Amino acid sequence: MKWLLDILKGKWLGHPLHPIIVHLPMAMWPGALIFDLLSKWQIGGNAMVRLSFYAISFGLAASLLAVPTGVVDWTGIKKEKPAWKIGLYHLSLNVVVTALFAINLGLRLQDFRDASIVATAPLTLSIVGTAILIVSAYLGGRMTYHYGISVARMSKDEWREIAEACGANLPPE
Amino acid sequence: MLKDFLEGKPLGHPIHPMLVHFPIGFFVLSFLLDITTFVFPKASNLVLASFWAMLLGLVTAMLAALPGFADYSDIRRDHPGKRTATTHMTLNLMAVVVYAINLALRFSADVSLRVHFFPFLLSLAGVTLLFISGYLGGRLVYDDGIGVGRHKRHLPPPRDTIYLVPPIPGADAVFVPVMAAQQLRERETLRVGIDGQVMTMAKVDNQIFAFQEFCTHRFGPLSEGKFEGFNVQCPWHNSCFDVRTGEVTNGPAKINLKTFKVEVRESKVGILLSRETKSL
Repeated sequence: MKWLLDILKGKWLGHPLHPIIVHLPMAMWPGALIFDLLSKWQIGGNAMVRLSFYAISFGLAASLLAVPTGVVDWTGIKKEKPAWKIGLYHLSLNVVVTALFAINLGLRLQDFRDASIVATAPLTLSIVGTAILIVSAYLGGRMTYHYGISVARMSKDEWREIAEACGANLPPE
Repeated sequence: MLKDFLEGKPLGHPIHPMLVHFPIGFFVLSFLLDITTFVFPKASNLVLASFWAMLLGLVTAMLAALPGFADYSDIRRDHPGKRTATTHMTLNLMAVVVYAINLALRFSADVSLRVHFFPFLLSLAGVTLLFISGYLGGRLVYDDGIGVGRHKRHLPPPRDTIYLVPPIPGADAVFVPVMAAQQLRERETLRVGIDGQVMTMAKVDNQIFAFQEFCTHRFGPLSEGKFEGFNVQCPWHNSCFDVRTGEVTNGPAKINLKTFKVEVRESKVGILLSRETKSL
């Protein structure tokens, strides 16, 4: 099992995997909303309706990998740290968003091949889903940029060498 | 200030890494749609959908570039990540050019039926550039800590390390004047290297303190840290140290900082390096 965890953590890549994968749903779902709005303003016709459908599908496919990689990163955080709680909110909100876009996609299955304008129900779901996603993604960003989760985790040996060469007091290895 | 805004300080989160999700996602989507047109030649409107995705990708890429330049300008010139950042920026600019040409070709051709070979090749090149560049951008954050914790600090970080040579090497105690320390503003910092020791000099409560540059947790840059009272907070994982004694006041760090003696001699501020500090 350890090999699987290492793959999900991105050790083979020298870079955490979760923040790479999340580019896809993070772009696809707000993108679907943009395409929906363009469609509503009668730009693009059926190409725009299809584009929104493909974007949501692609985002869902990517989230299949985004969820396990995220959970693995989150379980590495100590429970008493503030980032653990933020991670829990981030995780819960993302599950909600994923479910909303799955329903959203289901509503489109019937008519995306021919429709030239997006229907109201899926458009509403795109708006709600995107709004929650933005909050959740912001929390994910805070984990990295405010609490330093995964920062200098893989590069710490290189930094230790630099710090040692610069005469610093060092923590035990 | 515009630069603070572009660096995402009011938001508590850098803006560039937020915006880059969009060009990366849309360019990849456009590429996948191109491939789908080869697999399902009869599916309609895929070519057009790919065009729209690419257009949105280009618009968002140019939006993401602006805060990217601001982030780049704040990386210390001798930072090990600076070269990675230069490569990252160059590759991204190349990708933007490749996609601009790609879009122009698709716009002028009859795009409703199938993707032509050359624009597809450009997409392949664009996505490849983006993957390498995106990976480097990630390394900048997760290896080099660029942008991490930067919003916590209000003053700009030091732009360079000031390297000084002690006047009499080998003496018991050497006084090394640091000229730039004279002009330090409250809570401003210098990154100074003397005789192999790299330290932060900071003005706190109108006094100047000097301590090792590297945090004792994961070696974050304390010259880019935030000051509160007599504490310096590491930008990466928020360890706190007392600037007067070097003692840890908040974890995750457990080891105290090495501190250096700051003195004023003949109205010059400087570091007093004794043999003990050297051998420690």
